[in-house]
Amino acid sequence: MNLLRFGHDTYGNRIIDGASWDLLPVAFWAGIAVIVVHLVVRAMKRGKGGG
Amino acid sequence: MASDNQKITRHAGIDRAFHWIMAATVLLLMITSLLPVLGIRFAWYGVHWVSGLLLTAIIAGHILRALFVQKPRVIMIAGADFKPRGAGKYTLPQKLMHLAWAVVVLVAIVTGLLLLRKAGVSFLERDPYVRTLAAWGIITLLHDLAALLSVFLVLLHVYFAILPEKRAYLRSMLKGSISRAELGQEHDLSKVDRGD
Repeated sequence: MNLLRFGHDTYGNRIIDGASWDLLPVAFWAGIAVIVVHLVVRAMKRGKGGG
Repeated sequence: MASDNQKITRHAGIDRAFHWIMAATVLLLMITSLLPVLGIRFAWYGVHWVSGLLLTAIIAGHILRALFVQKPRVIMIAGADFKPRGAGKYTLPQKLMHLAWAVVVLVAIVTGLLLLRKAGVSFLERDPYVRTLAAWGIITLLHDLAALLSVFLVLLHVYFAILPEKRAYLRSMLKGSISRAELGQEHDLSKVDRGD
């Protein structure tokens, strides 16, 4: 997985073009992961009667 | 003494309009930027820059209203936010969400406005030579990171908005008001009454 997109300038030097779109599913699944963790913690707290 | 069922105005109409127009423009910006990345091709650029300028305008209005009409300190993180029922108008998670959106949206706006010069729009002639390719790359990188973080934040924001125990906040963003009983679960009502 790449973190950055690269291109080349007129002299052939490698330059950053932007963020790699490989990170798009990472951003999505990171959000889903936080939600799942929160749901689990919430369920555990409720199981213990913590509201 | 005020009854638990008494409604408190939480968001004025103009603030609710700001919130939902911002939501619509951010979603349009994400759709027009990220669907082409996923291989869905369409003429995205016109809708993207118009939505971006609309977002810029309403954010500018929001900042001016927050600074000169509202109390900016109500959204600042304070020590009392860490105590049970110590929050004023906004809880710590709400302040953190606002801070995250503020950073992401401001980065997207500043870099987006700079990129208008590179891509060109109807009122601004395209001139990619005002900056080096390396500089455009860094600006694009920051714009891309703002888009990626928006995906993460939209998921969390919608999730927390629809949780049953948080739904009173969503209702207040639709109708404007919330009951003292609902607010009293996580907020210090004396601070809320003072407008803090």
